[in-house]
Amino acid sequence: MTKPTSASFNRRDFLKTGSLGALGVLFNGLEATPLAAAGYEPAQRVFDGPPVACAVIGTGLWGRELIGFLDRTPGASLHTVCDHYPAFLRRGAALAPQAKAVEDYRRVVEDAEVDAVFVATPTHQHREITVAALEAGKHVYCEAPLAHTVADARAIAAAAKAAAPAKLFQAGLQMRSEPQNHHVMTFVRTGALGSLAMARSQVHRKESWRRPAPNREREEVVNWRLNREISTGLLGEWGIHHLDTVRWLAGGRPKAVSAFGGVTQWHDGRDVADTTQAVFEFPNEIAYNLSCSLANSFEGSYDVIFGGDSAILLRGTQAWMFREADAPLLGWEVYARRDQFLNDTGISLVADATQLLAQGIDPATHAAEAESPVFHAVSDFIAAIHDGEPPAAGYAEGFEATVLALKANEALLTGKRVELRDEWFNLS
Amino acid sequence: MVQPELNSAEGNGPPLTRLARHAMATRFEIALVGDRPEALRAAGEEALDEIERMERRLSRFRPDSDLFRVNARAAREPVRVDPPMLRFLRAMRDLTEETGGCFDITAGPLAALWRRAGEEGRLPEEAELEAAREACGWANVELDEADRIVRFRHPLTSLDAGAVGKGWALEECAWLLREAGVENALLHGGTSSVLAMGQPPDQEAWRVAVAPPAGEREGQPLSLVGLRDQTLSVSAVWGRHYSVGGFEWGHVIHPATGRPAADTRLAAVVLPGAAAAGDAFSTALLAGGRGLAEILAVKHPEMGVLLLEPGPRSPWRFHWSEVGEA
Repeated sequence: MTKPTSASFNRRDFLKTGSLGALGVLFNGLEATPLAAAGYEPAQRVFDGPPVACAVIGTGLWGRELIGFLDRTPGASLHTVCDHYPAFLRRGAALAPQAKAVEDYRRVVEDAEVDAVFVATPTHQHREITVAALEAGKHVYCEAPLAHTVADARAIAAAAKAAAPAKLFQAGLQMRSEPQNHHVMTFVRTGALGSLAMARSQVHRKESWRRPAPNREREEVVNWRLNREISTGLLGEWGIHHLDTVRWLAGGRPKAVSAFGGVTQWHDGRDVADTTQAVFEFPNEIAYNLSCSLANSFEGSYDVIFGGDSAILLRGTQAWMFREADAPLLGWEVYARRDQFLNDTGISLVADATQLLAQGIDPATHAAEAESPVFHAVSDFIAAIHDGEPPAAGYAEGFEATVLALKANEALLTGKRVELRDEWFNLS
Repeated sequence: MVQPELNSAEGNGPPLTRLARHAMATRFEIALVGDRPEALRAAGEEALDEIERMERRLSRFRPDSDLFRVNARAAREPVRVDPPMLRFLRAMRDLTEETGGCFDITAGPLAALWRRAGEEGRLPEEAELEAAREACGWANVELDEADRIVRFRHPLTSLDAGAVGKGWALEECAWLLREAGVENALLHGGTSSVLAMGQPPDQEAWRVAVAPPAGEREGQPLSLVGLRDQTLSVSAVWGRHYSVGGFEWGHVIHPATGRPAADTRLAAVVLPGAAAAGDAFSTALLAGGRGLAEILAVKHPEMGVLLLEPGPRSPWRFHWSEVGEA
């Protein structure tokens, strides 16, 4: 196989050879052409058989994101949108003008025309709706965390298990569907990290986490995240996706969790911490630190996994590998794109890089359309229904991630280290 | 340039609740009037989140944006868009017609050509201009409104919403704030788009200064306006300036003629209500000048326009009300 040389990817040459150079697009500061314009065709699924008729229950912000994706997901059709709060239902219906709009979730669950239900209500309302939908024979996509108590999460998992394999249950752990994360997994599996040492995530964004409402009564309802009695806190609502990613990549289940936190910024009478740290004790002395905060936005959200030979940084839909000076050569890294980070050089881990290069397309100068991980999760769910395949993240994964997040929040609330017993995760 | 004055120190009213966020390569700020800061902050954050969401729709740079997806694919296959995107495209098409082609989000290929030629130190050739012109224009964009499908009829067609994204986002913000019960607020995006809801405490209107182009008039404002349920949009010539054989041009290309426009250096527009139209009009006026202002005024009798033209002339004012000497 001929190896590409750096000379063949001179950016200026690339722009000149195509009249498509007129379509200048900035990507990471480079003028880049959309991949599709360069003739790159990512695989598009086409399904035989009728589309999966979908309903979205809960049309707050998250539900409306799902509606938007479902509207253009191959193999799916939007049948019904549902929310018991009229103003939210109106917003959801505006995005799906061809769908039915109903206030009572029971009408959705009893509707024989509905094949699949997406549950995007507040966390503490998942159980009732999800179990009803599964028992009524619907496929269900339930947002993570599955529930605000272990008992409710267990009830959901049990109902999902009973409905399987005829009916599919997917947990809303969208990072499991992110193609870039699968790409990173191949590096982890081939031992490129060396001996695992530790991991760290942060989910930082300055905001109050309060939601607006036109009256006091609605204010109570819509601010369930700030209700200590029912909220899973930042660790549950934000942290779960990151702890699941690290758990998946690093392998093994933590043995214990400790957590710390409090209100550092938003002194508005709340008793749900606005800044939290959890430390999970993974096997083989590996500690994982998960930091979630509403106080500061610096560096946003990312995950880092550290090993004796290299560290991998995951940020959004991109990833980089930072090699130690004494790490053994992998071979392919000579041709990879590098990005400078202050004092370190990261090797960009681009999915499909070899395929692109084989077609004469330089991944550094062409911007692939990027879809959000949620889009991939929704597509995967629909494809899994059509193909009869297992979901990206099933009830077992959803249950485990939920229990880990809930126990981390418990450690925070009690101030005590929580030992994670194996029997808690047993679903039989 | 706009410098909203956000001090209510003069009045006896409660302090403003202020929030800010970086988006669309600028800084958005919202100042809200009311006596419950937590509730106001919640409403403001929802509005700021919507701006970020809008960027994910309309940015032509971000690979995850709807517009990027449309630009990448619509020439080769039908692209489905959601109802807000459809509404946006329809509105943009209408604005091109209304401004006689002086505002046109399909004119990207022409702008890119002049920019590239300028960087290469040459004038574009006629053949290149012809090729770019063929890719521009709404005739190349097929909108199937029933199925919400977009198709391009030319392989090089490309949409650029940069001139109008901020205003479009601010209009959505105002809607959200109203739903949350906010009646009085000032919102702005960087230095080019301002939306005034109601009035500040103890004052008739929100006082906003229109600043001159950078380095001019020793920073003294061109004008001071009072806004109440109105928008102000300012467009100015900025950025790289190219010069080839005595012929000079900047970033403003007249979409209809395909050639650089040199009529106007700064255009400020005040309109009742809608912010997005204001952005489109101020952009259009850089190319269309006084003549266009007079045409637009027929359908928009409440519109105010201030133009700064080349040379030392003082600004041209058209139905422009000011609150202070400038």
